[in-house]
Amino acid sequence: MRAPEKSRFSWRALFHDPVQLFGVASFVLLMVLAIAPLKDHFSEWRRYQKQYLQMIRNRRDAVTLMRRFQPGIHQIWIPNAGVVDRCETCHLGLQQASLGDVKTEPFGKHPPIPHQLTEFGCVVCHRGQGAATTVAGAHDSTKAPNEPLLPARYMEASCGQCHHAPLMGTPILNQGRVLLAGYGCLRCHTVKLPDGSTMTATDDPPPLTHIAEKTSREWIYAWLKNPQSWSATATMPNFLLSDAEARDISAFLIADSAPMPENGASPAPAQAVQPADLPAAQVTAGQALYGESFCASCHAMQNEAGNVVGGDLAPELTGIGSKVKPEWLKSWLSDPHVYDPGTLMPHFRWTSQQLTSLMDFLESQTNSGFTANVHLDPATPEQIAHGRQLVNEYGCAECHEIRGVSKTDNFAPDLSRIGSKPLAQIVFVAGMAHTLPAYLSAKIQHPREFGPGLRMPQYTFTPAQVDALTTALLALTDRSFTMPRQWQVALPKPSNYRPAGRAGELMADLNCQTCHRINGNGGDMAPDLSAEGSSVQRQWLYHFLKDPNTIRPTLIRRMPKFNLSNRERTILTDYIMTVYQIPQVDRDSMPESGYPPALVEQGKELFYSKYDCQSCHMVNPNTDQGYVGPVLTSVGSRLNAAWIYAWLKDPQALRPGTIDPNRNMSDADARALTAFLMAQKGSGKEANQ
Amino acid sequence: MAGKFDLYLDRMTKSRLWRSIFRSGSGDSSLHRAQKIQQNVFLHILPTKVRRRMLRLDATWYLGTLTLGTFMVLVITGILLMFYYHPSVPQAYADMKDLRYVVSAGLFLRNLHRWSAQAMVALVFAHMFRVFYRGAYRPPREFNWVIGVILLLVTLLLSYTGYLLPWDQLAFWAITVGTNIAKYVPLIGPRIRFLLLGGHLVNANALLRFYVLHCVVLPLAAVLFIVVHFWRIRKDGGLYAEQSQADGRKPADTPSLKSVEESVAVAEAVEKR
Repeated sequence: MRAPEKSRFSWRALFHDPVQLFGVASFVLLMVLAIAPLKDHFSEWRRYQKQYLQMIRNRRDAVTLMRRFQPGIHQIWIPNAGVVDRCETCHLGLQQASLGDVKTEPFGKHPPIPHQLTEFGCVVCHRGQGAATTVAGAHDSTKAPNEPLLPARYMEASCGQCHHAPLMGTPILNQGRVLLAGYGCLRCHTVKLPDGSTMTATDDPPPLTHIAEKTSREWIYAWLKNPQSWSATATMPNFLLSDAEARDISAFLIADSAPMPENGASPAPAQAVQPADLPAAQVTAGQALYGESFCASCHAMQNEAGNVVGGDLAPELTGIGSKVKPEWLKSWLSDPHVYDPGTLMPHFRWTSQQLTSLMDFLESQTNSGFTANVHLDPATPEQIAHGRQLVNEYGCAECHEIRGVSKTDNFAPDLSRIGSKPLAQIVFVAGMAHTLPAYLSAKIQHPREFGPGLRMPQYTFTPAQVDALTTALLALTDRSFTMPRQWQVALPKPSNYRPAGRAGELMADLNCQTCHRINGNGGDMAPDLSAEGSSVQRQWLYHFLKDPNTIRPTLIRRMPKFNLSNRERTILTDYIMTVYQIPQVDRDSMPESGYPPALVEQGKELFYSKYDCQSCHMVNPNTDQGYVGPVLTSVGSRLNAAWIYAWLKDPQALRPGTIDPNRNMSDADARALTAFLMAQKGSGKEANQ
Repeated sequence: MAGKFDLYLDRMTKSRLWRSIFRSGSGDSSLHRAQKIQQNVFLHILPTKVRRRMLRLDATWYLGTLTLGTFMVLVITGILLMFYYHPSVPQAYADMKDLRYVVSAGLFLRNLHRWSAQAMVALVFAHMFRVFYRGAYRPPREFNWVIGVILLLVTLLLSYTGYLLPWDQLAFWAITVGTNIAKYVPLIGPRIRFLLLGGHLVNANALLRFYVLHCVVLPLAAVLFIVVHFWRIRKDGGLYAEQSQADGRKPADTPSLKSVEESVAVAEAVEKR
């Protein structure tokens, strides 16, 4: 009893009466209160501001910099965007143009960008916590809902929050978006944009409705097992199917296949395609035709040197002879719309002789090793039923048209705001960095490692492609939906323009819009035709459709020859000349010829001396050396005068983005030049072609 | 020096102004001293007389007073925090950051509020254990024990409603869990939850309701019950002291009870850490 009394003695002495206790407590409180101002005084940002002052003191521009320096916390405040960025409290040199040489962070100047820092603040692009005034709090915070800084390699993602169309300065983002749309990502995943539109896929997966007519079950099996082993450029990903799964899916697809509408015959018994014994001369002729028809604009093929050469708009044709059946190939080349009404391939009007030689050439391209080790027993009904179930589970119908299997909405998670996915909602794989970019990148590369039962297929992307895709996904943020509307640079309104009438049918048959853009809809491989009727002369167009030639000296590729009949050419020419006109140019306002020789001579003078047009264009192929712009030797028979005049006055008004400079010509100069150019009728042969 | 000070003090307390405020007048007689307490609006809820022994630390450990002290700290820091805080979804968390990074001593203010809140809960429990194990809840103090239990509930509710206000993930999920527990009350559970949240989800309405409860309703309730609690101490015969024993000896501290109190205090301290 006595011992504890004694041990508490000193404690009791301190607090032995209430007055003394009050005194001690007051002293402690005072000490505690002193901590707050001390902590404020020794804060991180004050240290950085002292360092900054030390740094600028010894510079030549010290006086200016000192005058601009304001002590204290700095912030960029944009109320309607919820931006409160205090980054400039430590990053003091960001807006000082003269500090471009400073490499010590955090005092360097911001690299040049097309925006003012005060316009958007820092966090809109860099993420992180703008309100914080400590390095750790601003940069590294990973506590939800706080975002850490975005690593610099994904920086272009931030541009993509507002800019939804391709930008010159964001090649990685642009590539990522092209990949997202071109590799089928958008067929399973939905991506909604802030303007309410939905990103659409640009790939063209073939329908499997009549697949048994096209190829064998063995080929389908081998393809399903690994599409990239058939062609490295294949866009279909690898679903990592087991042998049994590939067997059952191939069984189902063959069994589900319907006969083609025209020939009506029952599907041929499934067997590997045997390359026919082909005459060598035919093959050479076919190869020449393959080149002349510019098949390589869309299709790639491995050449003798082993390089894959050609476009990526359509499937690679290396080994095509081992893939498709001869009857199918014949039907396809005769008219691809029979097999696939939605195909992008034009209906070439090859003669039967051309058809035979082209077929022979294509069938000589074999890759017999692909199905060599595939031996399948005839399918049982159970296998077919199981195949159907697998086709549903793996979402084959999200891309391909398959009879009796319908596309489901929201097959895969919505990615509209994936770039802001909270870390708390992510299941990380052991060993990976706990950041959103690391997660997205890993998910793109190894989707199946994130848990059992996942169905996302394995893609074979290069590291650069993975980074590009990650960048495109990181652009899909919450902020892009919540930021002020006027910040959004929307995509140009998508157009689904299709020409009408008989010409429209013909143009659909020829798939003109695979290459040509017309009124906002179509490809970008060939010139936009929206103003074609205002620019060219009827006679020239009629001849061009019969025998297309290139009008640019450096361009070898030209429009393929479609063997159009005279009637078809008349229909197309009439339609284009009548419909594709623009109000800026009245083509009848100036005559095609009959300009006074003096005017022509004056135009020639202007062409060669004042405006130096021959630097880019050729009028006389013997003397001029302009290889940049179109050849003008016969421009007088190709374009109409009013168009030339309007073009000279303001090229960009007629074709936005053209590199032909606007020279601000006077009316008289433009008129003289027009007269000179209209006098360039070319040789009679050229004009009448 | 001391004499001069006393002279001035005496002159001041006899002045007309002083007398107009403190009507009891000066004087050291028992009557005067009792009147000083009784006639003061703030002090009259306290007993006019207290045993000197009861003012010593080991009589009560000042647990009740310390609880009141933390409550005062909370009121003061709370009012200061209210100058910086908007109970709105887009602003609440940003205000936390402002307090953390740019308001002078804002972090200190917030920490003081938070730790005082923790201390208050701990002290309320310690106070109640002390009262319970000393048997101080027995008649005639049983009603004051009930008031004390109500004050415990108010304290816990203050602590709980304050939890949502930072509007971070911790707050969001704590309130989600808490209100989901309320849902399991038979029959009226879902209604209680709806009433608390002002909807079916923890959102803007919930934030506003918790803010109003935390800053207005519950503090007023606490003040009301604290007043009643203090007033009842006086009415129930002052602080509880063990009765003198029949043979006239001073009451001895019972060793067994003391050790119980100490072990509880230690357990509380450990729990708090």
